[in-house]
Amino acid sequence: MRLYDLFKLALSNLKRRKTRTFLTILGVVIGTASIVVMVSLGLGMSQMMLKSYQDEGSLTMIRVYESYERNDSSEKNKQLTELTDDNVERFRALDHVVEVSPALDVSVSAKCNGAESDFTIRGVSQYYLSQLKLRECGEIPKKDQNELSLIYGNQILYNSFYKTKTYESMEIDPYKDTIFLTFPASDYSEKRSNSDSESDTVKKQKKYIIPVSGILSGGKDDWSENSYNAYADIDTLKKFLRKLYKKALVPAPRTTKNGKAYTYYVYDTIYVFVDDMNNVKEVQKQLADMGFSVNSNMEWLESAQQQLGMVQMVLGGIGGVSLLVAAIGIMNTMMMSIYERTKEIGVMKVLGCDMSDIRNMFLFESGIIGLMGGIAGLMVSYLISFIINFLTSDNGESVSMFIGYSEGGSLSYIPLWLAAFAIIFAIAVGSVAGYVPAVRAMKLSPLAAIRNE
Amino acid sequence: MEPLIKVRDLYKIFNIGSNKVYALNGVSFDIYKGEFIAIVGTSGSGKSTCLNMLAGLEAPSKGVIQIANKRIDRMNEAQLVRFRRQNVGFIFQSYNLIPSMNAIENVAMPLMFRGVGHEERMKAAKHYMELIGIGDQSMHMPNQMSGGQQQRVGIARALVIDPQIIFADEPTGNLDSHTTADVLDLMKRIVSEEQRTMVMVTHDPHIASWADRQLKVVDGHIVETVINESSPIEIKIKEENGEPPFCEVTGS
Ligand SMILES: Nc1ncnc2c1ncn2[C@@H]1O[C@H](COP(=O)(O)OP(=O)(O)OP(=O)(O)O)[C@@H](O)[C@H]1O
Ligand SMILES: [Mg+2]
Repeated sequence: MRLYDLFKLALSNLKRRKTRTFLTILGVVIGTASIVVMVSLGLGMSQMMLKSYQDEGSLTMIRVYESYERNDSSEKNKQLTELTDDNVERFRALDHVVEVSPALDVSVSAKCNGAESDFTIRGVSQYYLSQLKLRECGEIPKKDQNELSLIYGNQILYNSFYKTKTYESMEIDPYKDTIFLTFPASDYSEKRSNSDSESDTVKKQKKYIIPVSGILSGGKDDWSENSYNAYADIDTLKKFLRKLYKKALVPAPRTTKNGKAYTYYVYDTIYVFVDDMNNVKEVQKQLADMGFSVNSNMEWLESAQQQLGMVQMVLGGIGGVSLLVAAIGIMNTMMMSIYERTKEIGVMKVLGCDMSDIRNMFLFESGIIGLMGGIAGLMVSYLISFIINFLTSDNGESVSMFIGYSEGGSLSYIPLWLAAFAIIFAIAVGSVAGYVPAVRAMKLSPLAAIRNE
Repeated sequence: MEPLIKVRDLYKIFNIGSNKVYALNGVSFDIYKGEFIAIVGTSGSGKSTCLNMLAGLEAPSKGVIQIANKRIDRMNEAQLVRFRRQNVGFIFQSYNLIPSMNAIENVAMPLMFRGVGHEERMKAAKHYMELIGIGDQSMHMPNQMSGGQQQRVGIARALVIDPQIIFADEPTGNLDSHTTADVLDLMKRIVSEEQRTMVMVTHDPHIASWADRQLKVVDGHIVETVINESSPIEIKIKEENGEPPFCEVTGS
């Protein structure tokens, strides 16, 4: 029998019992819609999470700290695990590593228009700086600048300055307001004998006005791991600090056994940038094996996504149950229609209709129910998804607060593959549910046609 | 002349609980191409059972059925379906038209099972409907037609695949005497004109007398065979074979 004829026959059989077909399809619609909406919620959540991590900072970045578990180690080993420029080069040589940026931190106090603040100036490499998202008017400090210039994190301006007396929070515009910075006094003195001029000058708490190079993008309510710091080019910062602290290099230098300040830099953090999200884990492991303490956003994201995966499975399971009910509905409908059409099927068999054609005809019928239910269910899903996203977007502030994700992305996300999967799955469910009835129809005796009731 | 259908020692035994019902109790006969056979007998005598086994709708308990040199009794269900599709037309007592299809679609249905395209099968269906004299009713639905009209559609449906054999179980059972005569006339005409073979079951001796040859069945035995001596096909068989068609007469 031709496929086209089978299809037409199946369709006309469905048309014969419009109400029942409609109700069965309705079941599939509800089943499909609940699965799609549930999965779309899971996907939307995971997408939002990914986005929120990306906002926090790059997913390809690994933070490296000095490990304190090895306190007992000898001087030489210690040097190996200190975050020195040597180690920066070692990291750079690793596979998949694109860039390495040390971070040199100096905490400063700031005064502006009668308000005070403390924050950290963080000297980083040009690559790190280039990863920062700036407001339009700003630019990254150049590498070989003579004069130090800063990029302010947006939160410094909005939420860190307080009036000395009233503790009132104050907003600062570094382009208009003058910010006076005070660098910490050096707590290193090159032996008692030398406690003269240089440390004295610092003690006087000289105030500096350092030019603004840019501001990190983001408003009052945007937080990221960068937004509470000020950034500078590391080489320029080193040059600047050398003027202040001379041989000590930094305000609180490490000292050798005999009390001398280190002649090289030891950083608090080194940032390692990896070529791809998927290689982060591998590189991270290598760094950990070298004796450093490491973490990355990717690592957090992975564990968070694992948990979310469970949530997704539960959601999908809930949707699955309703599709299962729909499948039982299809089975029931098909069984009933076989019961009604016993004689007709018998006639067809007497007249030479292949058993497989009879089976396929019924499979087509249940498959069509699945297909129509799948398509309609998908349309309903898109509608529900739209409504959910509308309610959780800015228009429905209260709901989004309740759910806990407010900024960016949509809570319900139906990618193309999910849509395709839903329809194919609905057809498959229809066919599977129709299989037992179809086989039963195939095996019906042709004698049913002969008997007269 | 070789017989088209050969039946030897055919039994059908139904087990109802511990009881055994001998619906067919060992029958043997031959049917030749072009014959119009009537199997006649009282209710419960086993006529339908015999016909169903010939058509491969029921498996014999014992015995041999050979049609066109093929052993029907040894075929499985899928093979039987294919055999019917190629060789057998069937006319039912209660017409059994598909209610959701109109007349011409019903007639064309067996061709659809063969995978014949729409155009071609509609043409064939139209041809047979005109042959039978219902060409003007092709668009009618079964429930808009009288019993006689429906049975004509049924006959056209049996003919459309150009079958070697047509089986008919009480084809006139639901028709009045006038229409019965029309339908029988039609069937007889087609059998002789188109050189078909037809096996008809009936309980009515009067209807059976239309046939070229009657097999009278009582309690699962063939008790008598009546040959219409004026029938051209019977004359021809006798001429060629030198004897009438084989039929074992037994019992009571
Ligand atoms: N499926 C079955 N199961 C058990 N017994 C059956 C079955 N079919 C037929 N029989 C029995 O076989 C015998 C012959 O039945 P059959 O249908 O061949 O009769 P018939 O000659 O066609 O009668 P009628 O003219 O009433 O149609 C009957 O006694 C009947 O009870
Ligand atoms: Mg009968």
